[in-house]
Amino acid sequence: MVKDYLEGKPLRHPLHPMLVHFPIGLFFLSFLFDLASLVFPSQMYLVRDSFYAMLLGAIMALVAAVPGFVDYTDIRNDHPGKRTATAHLILNLIVVGLYGINLGVRSSMLSDPRIRTGPFVLSLVGICLLCASGYLGGRLVYDDGIGVGRHKRHMPPPRDTIHLTVPIPGADGVFVPIMAAQQLRERETLRVEIGGQIMTIAKIENQLFAFQEFCTHRFGPLSEGKFEGFNVQCPWHNSCFDVRTGKVTNGPAKVDLKIFKVERREGKVGILLPRGTKSA
Amino acid sequence: MNRLLNFLKGKWLGHPLHPILVHVPMAMWPGALIFDLLSKWQIGGNAMVRLSFYAIVFGLLASLLAIPAGVMDWSGIKKEKPAWKIGLYHMILNLLVALLFAINLGLRVQTFREATTVAGVPLLLSILGTALLIGSAYLGGMMTYTYGISVARMSKDKWRKIAEAGGANLPLE
Repeated sequence: MVKDYLEGKPLRHPLHPMLVHFPIGLFFLSFLFDLASLVFPSQMYLVRDSFYAMLLGAIMALVAAVPGFVDYTDIRNDHPGKRTATAHLILNLIVVGLYGINLGVRSSMLSDPRIRTGPFVLSLVGICLLCASGYLGGRLVYDDGIGVGRHKRHMPPPRDTIHLTVPIPGADGVFVPIMAAQQLRERETLRVEIGGQIMTIAKIENQLFAFQEFCTHRFGPLSEGKFEGFNVQCPWHNSCFDVRTGKVTNGPAKVDLKIFKVERREGKVGILLPRGTKSA
Repeated sequence: MNRLLNFLKGKWLGHPLHPILVHVPMAMWPGALIFDLLSKWQIGGNAMVRLSFYAIVFGLLASLLAIPAGVMDWSGIKKEKPAWKIGLYHMILNLLVALLFAINLGLRVQTFREATTVAGVPLLLSILGTALLIGSAYLGGMMTYTYGISVARMSKDKWRKIAEAGGANLPLE
C-alpha cells in the first residue's frame, strides 16, 4: 500500500524525519553564504553559492512534504499533538513559499558581489520560521511520540476517541453498549472514553478485550500499540501487557493495567463497568 | 559542570539537543557528495567544488557540538537495554564518519579555490563517508522510532496528568 511506503513502514523508520535534514541543513548553509557575502564582498562567488544551496534545499523540502502530509493524516484528531502538527504544517508551507519567492528574486542577481537587502531579509525570516517549525516537529516526536513505534503496528490507529456517557446503573454494574466494536477487525482497536475513563478496545483471536489506554511506564497510547498473541506492546518503549489480565509481561513498565469486562447483552457488545460507577 | 551536562541534554530547550544538531552534518555531507558529483559531471564548475568544501566545514563544526550531546544522551541508557548497543555502534560509526570528512577536507584545502572538478580520492572519501553516515543515521533513527530513546522524557509529567484524568493505573511518583 502506498500509504505504508510513505510512512516508511518497509524501512521501519518514518520517512519525513529522515528527509527534513536536507532542507534544514541546506537553508542554513545558504544563509551562511549570505552572511559571508556581506562580510567578504570581494569574494565574487558567495551569492551564487547561496542560491544553489537554497535551490537544493527547496527541492528536498518539497520531497519531504509528501510523507509529512501522510504522517499528519495519521494523527488522531483529538491527540494533544494534533494542534502542534497543524502549526508545523502551516509554518512549513509558509517557509517553502518564502524560499520559492526568494529563489525567484535571486535568480537575476547571481553575479552580485554581496546579497541585497530584499532576499537577505527573506532568508532571515525563512530561517527564523524554519527554526520554529523544526522545533515543533521535534516536540511532536519527543513530547507526543508521533511516529514512534508506528512501523511495528499492522492496523491503522483509531481516527478519533469515541465518547460515551454512563447510563443508570443496574444491579450488577453499568452496561455500556459500544456499537463500533461490532465491526472491529482482527488486531484493530478503538479508543473509547466512558464517563472520563479512557480505554482501548481490541479484537484478538476474534475476542474483544478492554484495558486502560495509557501505558503505566510513560503513558504511551496502547490503542496504537502492536499485538502479538494476547500481548499488547506499547509503541513508545516496548512495555508489554497481557490483555486478558492486564499483567506486565515485559518492562520497562512495572504496574499492571486496569482491565474492563466485555460482555454481550441482548445482541449488543459493551463494557460492564463495576458497581459504584457514577452515572452521568 | 552540571550545567554543561544539562545544556547538552537539551533540558533548557524542552527538546533533546543531539537530534537537532545532527541535521547539519546529516544534510551537509551527503550535500557535499551531490556537489562533488555535479562538478564531476561538469555541472557548475568551481562553484560546486567550493560548495562541497564549505558544506564539509559546516558539517564538521556542527558535529563538534553534536558529538558531546549525543554521548550525553547515550550515557543515560541502561547497559542491558538493546538501545545501548545500537547507540554504541551509532557512536563508533559517527566518529569514523567525522574523521573521514576531516581527512577529506584536509585534502581539499589546497585546491578548492581554483579547481573545477573534484579529485578522485576526495570523491571516494565523500562516497564512503556518506554511505557510513546513512547507515549510522538509520541506527540513530532506530533508537528514537523503535526504542523510544528520549521520547516522553521531558513530557512525562504532562502525559501522567492526561493518564490520571483518564482513570489509568499509575506507577508511584
